[in-house]
Amino acid sequence: MISITGLRKSFGAATVLNGIDLEIRQGEVVSVLGSSGSGKSTLIRCINGLEKIDAGKITVDGFDVSKPRELSEARKRSGTVFQLFNLYPHMTAVQNVALAPIEVLKVPRKQAEAEARELLHSVGLTERADAYPSQLSGGQRQRVGICRALAMKPSYLLLDEVTSALDPEMTSEVLSILAALAKTGTTMVFVTHEIEFARSISSRIAFLDKGQLIADLPTEEFFSATGMALPRVAQFLSKMRKD
Amino acid sequence: MRYGDFTPFDIVLLLQGLGVSLALFVSTTLIGLVIGTAWAVIRFYRVPVLMQAVTFVAELLKNSPVLVQLFLVFFGLPAFLKINVTPTEAALITLSGNSAAFIYVIAVSAIESVGRDQIEAARVFGLTRWQILRRVIAPQATAFAIGPLTGLLVNQLQVTSLISVIGVMDLTKVGNILNLRTLKPFLVWTAVGLLYYLTAKLVTYAGARFEKRLRAHTAWKGL
Amino acid sequence: MKFDLSILAKHIPFLLEGAWLTLQACALAVIGSLVLGLVVGAMRTSASPLLNRLAAIYIDIFRNIPFIVQLFFFYYGLPEIGIYIDAFTTGVVALSIAGGAFTSDVIRSGILAIDPGVIEAAQVSGLRKITIFRKIILPIALRASVRPLGSVFINLILTSSILSTITLNELTGSAKIVASNTFRPFEVYFVLLVAYAALTYSVSILIGMLHRYLNRHQEEGAV
Repeated sequence: MISITGLRKSFGAATVLNGIDLEIRQGEVVSVLGSSGSGKSTLIRCINGLEKIDAGKITVDGFDVSKPRELSEARKRSGTVFQLFNLYPHMTAVQNVALAPIEVLKVPRKQAEAEARELLHSVGLTERADAYPSQLSGGQRQRVGICRALAMKPSYLLLDEVTSALDPEMTSEVLSILAALAKTGTTMVFVTHEIEFARSISSRIAFLDKGQLIADLPTEEFFSATGMALPRVAQFLSKMRKD
Repeated sequence: MRYGDFTPFDIVLLLQGLGVSLALFVSTTLIGLVIGTAWAVIRFYRVPVLMQAVTFVAELLKNSPVLVQLFLVFFGLPAFLKINVTPTEAALITLSGNSAAFIYVIAVSAIESVGRDQIEAARVFGLTRWQILRRVIAPQATAFAIGPLTGLLVNQLQVTSLISVIGVMDLTKVGNILNLRTLKPFLVWTAVGLLYYLTAKLVTYAGARFEKRLRAHTAWKGL
Repeated sequence: MKFDLSILAKHIPFLLEGAWLTLQACALAVIGSLVLGLVVGAMRTSASPLLNRLAAIYIDIFRNIPFIVQLFFFYYGLPEIGIYIDAFTTGVVALSIAGGAFTSDVIRSGILAIDPGVIEAAQVSGLRKITIFRKIILPIALRASVRPLGSVFINLILTSSILSTITLNELTGSAKIVASNTFRPFEVYFVLLVAYAALTYSVSILIGMLHRYLNRHQEEGAV
């Protein structure tokens, strides 16, 4: 379980997250929605320890991410996929995927690379396994990014606007992989702008507005009368549907 | 030979050495600036033959040790041309030539930093090549060149230390003399090093100041 | 006087011995400055203010004091504190320390140019700091630094000529001997100058090839 209580985070004078309480249980797919600047990405970056939190507590399976000793355990349990892929530019797709298993989990190189190839095969990149990131399209890069996160067999997958840098065609190739993952019961925290897609795969929606969690509802409730009763949610949904 | 302790006069000696180093540094920099810029202008006008010759000489000077250039001028020229070359003359010739080569490179890239479109626009207005160089390119290129030039000057200041090898009484040569007399190498070379260091810092500081002033002049001040 | 290179023919083996010594000294100094540059470059980009400051001081000192002064400091100074090493070792040590200052600056800018997101990706996947440095930061920074490192190493070759001032008969030192034995300093130093230029030119070609080879997969630039 990922448990967030009383989370506060500010950058200088700007408060980005202002008292967030959220729990994500094994097997859930939680989409985090909200307009740009609402703190969605910062939330992910707090969970994986890339940002130091100012107040509150975040634990991943009981490991406190603000304690350096426990952070590495927490990080072993979650995998992150980034908006801009952040692949290692000097490594092939296989090497990108196999690096952490080899170095962190001490999997023998041969085995790790075989498993990496299998993962890449499962996302349709069999032919491109030995290509470097610069030789791949955006969608292909992001699929490698997903494999890299999955290679560590994480309990939780953190997805930070993973399709925002992709054109529509590439977006759909990445989303179809995520939909398949959701079906297999992978726990996901999904920060996104893709409302309809979020609706189709999520069990729950968390809605952030100006650093506060103003809705945390089962998906269908969020998109029905309960959600629409909240003015900010109604406003957000109508604006997003217009775009 | 008796080894002696330091005397108060040694400070004067060190400062004299520093004076010689500085004098050669400043004069060869100025000569190098004139020659290097002239070479860059030759390139700007695409003067045939001369342009290739300049590039070749500059490359040769940039890619060979200053010490060898110094030996060529100080030992080689007198033997070859049957003329007399004093250590100071050899130092002047060599350091000026060497500075010119590096300044040439900086000047060329500074000229190239000014956009082609500006030059074409100026040509449309009927400016001559010389007017374009003077009015359009020179002011912008100077601002561009100050940064790299400061770096070069710090380097050229250090290069002057090599003239001690052919017997010019510069700061390093004074260091040599004191080193042999007192047999206190750590102290002597630390003092010499410190003087060079402070001078280098002064050059860096002056360059930064000059760049700031130049930028203030070219900055948009509003209507 | 006639320009006659044929006199040098019988001295070529002797000069080649000197060139061999130059190459050995430079090769060792390149390794030395690379090791030093990596350590200091890492310190310079580390989160520890103390390490950062120490690295900055080292770079500042050795970039702003002439190499010949540094060399004399070690050559005359080390025996005074009971360290007796030969001229060759002293020369390699001094070259490595000076070269390390320039190398660490290059490494530092190479590290700072890395996309922070790539390092974050490595952090969240649970890699240890040392692993991130070895497997991610270093390979990326080094690939980007091939050309600037190349100019540092070319400078190292040119600077190695100064080792002749501490009785080391490397290329320049042997040329001095040939010049005084043949009374043909002009020819000797002219050939020497061309030899150094040819050497550094070929090194720069090799560096260009190495750069292209190491960056063959990066031509399109990461998005």
